[in-house]
Amino acid sequence: MALLEVTGITKRFGGLVAVNDLNLSLDKGQILGLIGPNGAGKTTAFNMISGFYKPDEGDITFEGKNITGLRPDQVCKLGLTRTFQVVKPFPQLSVRDNVMVGAYNRTNDKKVARQKAEEIIEFLGMQEMEGMTASSLSVAYRKRLEVAKALATDPKIILLDEAMAGLRPIETDHMIDLVRQVSKQGIALLLVEHVMRVIMSLAERIVVIHHGEKIAEGKPQEIVHDKEVIDAYLGEVEIDVKG
Amino acid sequence: MTAEILKKTSSGPVRNWFRGVLLDWDRTQMLICFLLVGLLALAPLFVHSTYYLGILILATIYAFIGISWNIVAGFTGQLLIAQIIFLAIGSYTTIVLFNYYLVSPWVGLLIAGLVAGLCGIVVAFITLRYGLKVDYFALFTIALMVALRTLFLKWEFVGGAVGMWFRLTDPSFDKMIFATKAPYLYIALGLVVIGLLVQYRIYRSKMGKYFLAIREDEDAAAALGVNTSLYKMLAVVISAAMAGVGGGFYVMYVTFIEPPQVFNLGLNVEIVMAGPIIGGLGSLAGPIVGALLNKPFAEIMRGALVEGRSGSSLIVYGSFLILTVMFMPRGVTGVLHTIYCWIIKRFTSDEPGDDQNGAA
Amino acid sequence: MTPEIFFQIIVNGLFTGGIYALVAVGLTLIYGVMVIVNFAHGEFLMLGIYIAFLGNSLLGIDPYMIIPIAFVLIFGLGALIQRGLVQRVLDAHPLNQIILLVGVGMLLVGLVQFFFSAEPKAIHVPYETAVISAFGLRFAIARLVAFFASMVISLLLYLFLHFTRTGKAIRAVSQSRDAARLMGINVNFIYYLTFGIGAAITAVAGVLLSPNHRMIPTMGQGYSVIAFVVVVLGTMGNFIGAFLGGLIIGVVEAFAGFYLGGDVKIIASMLIFILILLFRPAGLFGRKRA
Repeated sequence: MALLEVTGITKRFGGLVAVNDLNLSLDKGQILGLIGPNGAGKTTAFNMISGFYKPDEGDITFEGKNITGLRPDQVCKLGLTRTFQVVKPFPQLSVRDNVMVGAYNRTNDKKVARQKAEEIIEFLGMQEMEGMTASSLSVAYRKRLEVAKALATDPKIILLDEAMAGLRPIETDHMIDLVRQVSKQGIALLLVEHVMRVIMSLAERIVVIHHGEKIAEGKPQEIVHDKEVIDAYLGEVEIDVKG
Repeated sequence: MTAEILKKTSSGPVRNWFRGVLLDWDRTQMLICFLLVGLLALAPLFVHSTYYLGILILATIYAFIGISWNIVAGFTGQLLIAQIIFLAIGSYTTIVLFNYYLVSPWVGLLIAGLVAGLCGIVVAFITLRYGLKVDYFALFTIALMVALRTLFLKWEFVGGAVGMWFRLTDPSFDKMIFATKAPYLYIALGLVVIGLLVQYRIYRSKMGKYFLAIREDEDAAAALGVNTSLYKMLAVVISAAMAGVGGGFYVMYVTFIEPPQVFNLGLNVEIVMAGPIIGGLGSLAGPIVGALLNKPFAEIMRGALVEGRSGSSLIVYGSFLILTVMFMPRGVTGVLHTIYCWIIKRFTSDEPGDDQNGAA
Repeated sequence: MTPEIFFQIIVNGLFTGGIYALVAVGLTLIYGVMVIVNFAHGEFLMLGIYIAFLGNSLLGIDPYMIIPIAFVLIFGLGALIQRGLVQRVLDAHPLNQIILLVGVGMLLVGLVQFFFSAEPKAIHVPYETAVISAFGLRFAIARLVAFFASMVISLLLYLFLHFTRTGKAIRAVSQSRDAARLMGINVNFIYYLTFGIGAAITAVAGVLLSPNHRMIPTMGQGYSVIAFVVVVLGTMGNFIGAFLGGLIIGVVEAFAGFYLGGDVKIIASMLIFILILLFRPAGLFGRKRA
């Protein structure tokens, strides 16, 4: 049984069908990529899985439990944490406090939470800025903070929403490295990405969405040669076949 | 980091203690607060005029109420504008219990807190159930205040439009009736100390961090496992209960209550909002610093510009509020924090203290 | 409850409602364009009525002649307040916006109280007790004139907003600040204009109210609260909603006053307010502000 099983979820906004009958599954420790042109419905799917939207149809099962319609904090408590495409730090709190909020997900003890926060901050190489307010961080480090907060919640799955957007190539390399290390810890990852290089180098399998529907699924090399995928992306993004 | 500083400088337990405090802005704020409390405690020795003592007592009460508002508006960022509702409920509870049932105000205060807290649950529940956000929440609390004022105007049991006078008897400790002003000051200070400690404990705990997270970004907080509705309600209830207790003491001190006096936006601004805002909303020291700056200043202005020229305190409050929002959004405490950071940088080689959460 | 009494109440309600409509239109205009709830709104009405007092007691001018003066003066004040103060907090936390406006309101009340004292005052005009009797009903002249004046002014404002270039620019900004900017509209200028108009119109309502009306510096708050009710009822930002809402609330209040008594009638508006906030926060005209 898969760790995360998404079956036939659909979301409508008035007359617009943002996501239509989407299926996907994620196994423990796996990295699944979710790609598609802008407006394809990726973030909407994320919002449904993480509890921010209620699907109009369909089910979401996590570790065998039906989590459809649960609140975001309930989903997080069960072990599924998401990040946001446009990062959402707690601007006036320090980096440490930002991460501690995540760490408190599993404990009520201040010392334990702080310990965990410091470990994670170290893992992300942000010890120097522990006391700085989140608003004073650069974009690259805010993205790291976003990951740090998610990690602190001790999740089994992290939904990473465009964690690399807006990063310079060298920053992207660092992030890719980071994501690999997170995966090594046994955390399953569902990545939404636009940067092909990232998806190709990280994802074991890829699901392609277009107009809210799945149009392809498979290994990265298969996807890249899929005609429908290429059509959907024509003019959008240059697919670097070399990965 | 604190350990490094300790190693660098000469040791000694007192010095170590100081460094433990001064390198942590939160603890420094508490130090400032307790210094202020200490000064106030000594005031009766130097201030003999009952008029000025009275001002200090009111300022102290305002500080306590301000702390209660700081928890809901400063920590969680909820726009509970008409906090005075809870103060009023607390006041009425206490005075009714005393006048009709001879319940000692000491007990009355606690019951007032309980009743106000229950009302807080109701208000929070309605707001969350019906999704009243931001402006709508603010307007809702104002509507509630006006509605309650009308209801209390007509409710004969609590005196209706005439209000209730406290049944004054001879001075007696368990009736909280004293011949001089000083005891009132000490009770008020007692409340403030309790308030400061409660505020501090909350701030440093998981609940506090969750409160702040909700203020900063509710969605992000939810995504990290924060049950935002629960914690928002908790903040309102704690706040309301505190305001209720404060209201209970307030009525014992001013000995009189009537609806237009207490269900009043002007009084709301004066007691509830002005202090924390000017002092620094969301900070630990804000409420007490603000209250001590505000009330005495306003009273002095009122006194200085006498000849029946009223309105001067309004001009003072209004101007303070405007100036604070425009130039000092973090209030006086924010300014103090900036100075503090500068001093720390100057005298140590490290970045200033832990938990640099900053004021709202 | 005879038919005469019934219709008399409606008439009185409409007369009051006309004033409410004017005040609410000002508030909803400001909200529609700047998405800010003007917590000092009632104070502009109070300023209007005191300007009328000043003009009348100092210079013996009839209040109705003062309307244009009040309009211009408060327009200037409003624009100044917007430019100097409100502009800075447009993108800040709502709490800061509220506090700023509460502070402005307090300052205005304090200033008026300082110069005029808190003693109730009133203007007296020769025609204040004049009444027209028609259809078995009594129409107080002063209130009748005020009603028609509010209708006319509201209509003029509506025409301004819909048929002049500036008016359309204002509406454009209320729909999308960025799109308006891209079309070359000077958004900041529109903000000064809107706040000025919103404040001025409210002040005019105050002038219309002035004949034989008790005035104290704190009278604005009550009107602020009523204006909030009306604006939410009529959907925030909706001109027609505010206008009709004002009339509706005026009539509701009149009936409440008849059945419950003058000091308690506000409870009716508060109940409506609470019900709307809970069950239909988007107001009668549906579309919630984006």
